[in-house]
Amino acid sequence: MTVPISLRHDETFVLNLGPQHPATHGVLRVILTLDGEYVVKAEPVLGYVHRMHEKLAEGGTFAQFMPNTARMDYLHALAFNHGWALVVEKAAGIEVPERAEYIRVITVELNRIASHLLWWAAFLLDLGGFTPLLYAFDDREKIIDLLERVTGSRLTYCYMRFGGVYNDIDDEFIAGTRAFIKRLRSRMPRFYHDLVTHNIILIKRIKDIGFITPEQCRRYGATGPVARGSGISYDIRKNEPYSVYPEFDFEVPVFDECDSMARYMVRMHEMEQSLRIIEQALDKLPDGPVMGKAPKVLKPEAGYYYSAVETARGSLGYRLICDGGKNPYKLKLRSPTFSNLSLFGEVAEGMLLADALAFMGSLDLVIPEIDR
Amino acid sequence: MDIREKTQIALALLFPAAPVTEVPVVAEGPPPPRDAGVVIQDFPRCGSHLDVLCRPDQVVAVAQIMDTEGFFLESIAGVDWLEKQQLEVLYDYNRLGGEHCRVMVRTLVPRTEPVVPTISAVFPAANWHERETFDFYGVHFQDHPNLIRILLPEDADFHPLLKDFMP
Amino acid sequence: MGTENVPSSIVQFAQLDKLLNLGRANSLWPMTFGLACCAIEMMCTGGSRFDISRFGAEVFRPSPRQSDVMIVAGTINKKLEMAVKTLYDQMPEPKWVIAMGNCAISGGPFKVKENYNVVEGADKLFPVDVYIPGCPPRPEALLEGIMTLEEKITGKRRWPRVHAG
Repeated sequence: MTVPISLRHDETFVLNLGPQHPATHGVLRVILTLDGEYVVKAEPVLGYVHRMHEKLAEGGTFAQFMPNTARMDYLHALAFNHGWALVVEKAAGIEVPERAEYIRVITVELNRIASHLLWWAAFLLDLGGFTPLLYAFDDREKIIDLLERVTGSRLTYCYMRFGGVYNDIDDEFIAGTRAFIKRLRSRMPRFYHDLVTHNIILIKRIKDIGFITPEQCRRYGATGPVARGSGISYDIRKNEPYSVYPEFDFEVPVFDECDSMARYMVRMHEMEQSLRIIEQALDKLPDGPVMGKAPKVLKPEAGYYYSAVETARGSLGYRLICDGGKNPYKLKLRSPTFSNLSLFGEVAEGMLLADALAFMGSLDLVIPEIDR
Repeated sequence: MDIREKTQIALALLFPAAPVTEVPVVAEGPPPPRDAGVVIQDFPRCGSHLDVLCRPDQVVAVAQIMDTEGFFLESIAGVDWLEKQQLEVLYDYNRLGGEHCRVMVRTLVPRTEPVVPTISAVFPAANWHERETFDFYGVHFQDHPNLIRILLPEDADFHPLLKDFMP
Repeated sequence: MGTENVPSSIVQFAQLDKLLNLGRANSLWPMTFGLACCAIEMMCTGGSRFDISRFGAEVFRPSPRQSDVMIVAGTINKKLEMAVKTLYDQMPEPKWVIAMGNCAISGGPFKVKENYNVVEGADKLFPVDVYIPGCPPRPEALLEGIMTLEEKITGKRRWPRVHAG
């Protein structure tokens, strides 16, 4: 029963943010109870782009699920491909040749940079600045051109196979990647840091906004840049290494301030570290085949398997249960943004509405990944 | 003593009747059935260090032990075993930084009356994960503060991930 | 809601109609309605490489009351379909709809026998003017879709057709 406005004792009103909204990064609805401009209660409502990925996994074979993995988080689709390839290779005992592992790492890190560039552009678009979008998309188009040469797609890649990758990289790709690394390194100080990071408007908007304590991160299961911006040094590439990541020398940026500025700086530094990884991988790239031996019809042994990869948003987990047949019996996708968003309700209480949106942008949400 | 041994010892206190066993190396066919207890798993092959099978009423006690040891709840999944007429709820615990240890906790409930106590008082992350398991499988979590659907429309009357569901 | 008969205007313009249509076609204001992956390609079209503003369409309006064309970019859900229909109804006439991507055309990769949640195509809810296939379609395909819509509005195609080879 709704109480008429005149009889309510408090001054709060309920405002519906979304599902169609320019700043919600997809179809997210947040039911906000506001007291003037202050948020009293924030309740995210999900499910507006639920596309039944877990049911589709049970209905088709293992290989038929690979295109679906890219549609979940389309900004870092190669990492989702990688995680699925890893868990099925674990279950079926398939070996991957070394050249394929290096190519996987190079393409995944390029995709990570593209994802962070788009996050940066969208974040600043939420805060009101349109120009950074043009600069970020310019660099992103260079990455997409490189990846399109090799994978055939611009956004939703279906590049990895069980046992390797399906297409080899050529010299033009390697030369193009080195040229891109040089270009991004030369543009970062001026177009990214001078224009935006040291900009007083950005600093005033995101510094000391949205404090997430490390204990909150642990209680809600937040991982990725959200946890690393609160002082927790957890990166699956270092803590639980997979593929050939132990061969590379890179750092995991961790900031202690726990506010949105810390999460922003984590992602900016991660882009530089990804460039380092790509350089080292190009230098050490071995020769050899790019596809290992995999049976035509995969029937992994029955059991419970788990694999985790580090995406641009956090730790992605695939919990696979096989029963010996050619379809997965059950697949559970542990999506990093689902856990990151679950702390929005607690942290946004008491904030100004504009600050709540800046905080939401710093969480880096991709809604189809939450809804699967 | 590393964290895996410490956790294993703390968890084994809940199962006085079953000793801690290792998964047999020769595995032909499905793993042997067991009632309850802690099993050490082969991490490179399976992806988790410990496999704990417990009764539904022990779920909160296990969650409290994991919280004391400093784990975080990564995900909650449901599984539908149609032939055995059972639903399984699977909890994944992991550590944020430091030594690495991943623990899988499983519990089985009858398919016709799936009721499990909630752990959202111990881990607030469980709030949304349990809503999702309820949404997909119909598992009812007792004492959950807000057990409504999360991904399907609120007025949906089916649980889609059950094996005998076809629209 | 079925089709409605919109009464023709009392005042009939002749050559002015053509001029108005030319104006409408070259300043289509889209609504920001990115639902899923195709939204990113729509954003790339708005960037400086593919540059939708050459065609007058870079002013993406968040509100349906201020927009001409709804580019349905992404999958429509059973939970979302009432909201999409409301947004379509809120747009003032004359309005057009572009269905971008396979999901908006027919449900795309989610049109399977286990489908319990995806609406199979935007044209189940309202009439669609231009269909752009692809998963996701390239930005050039979206630009071609805008040019096709312009041809539908004015009757003539202003831009040369690019042939392969």
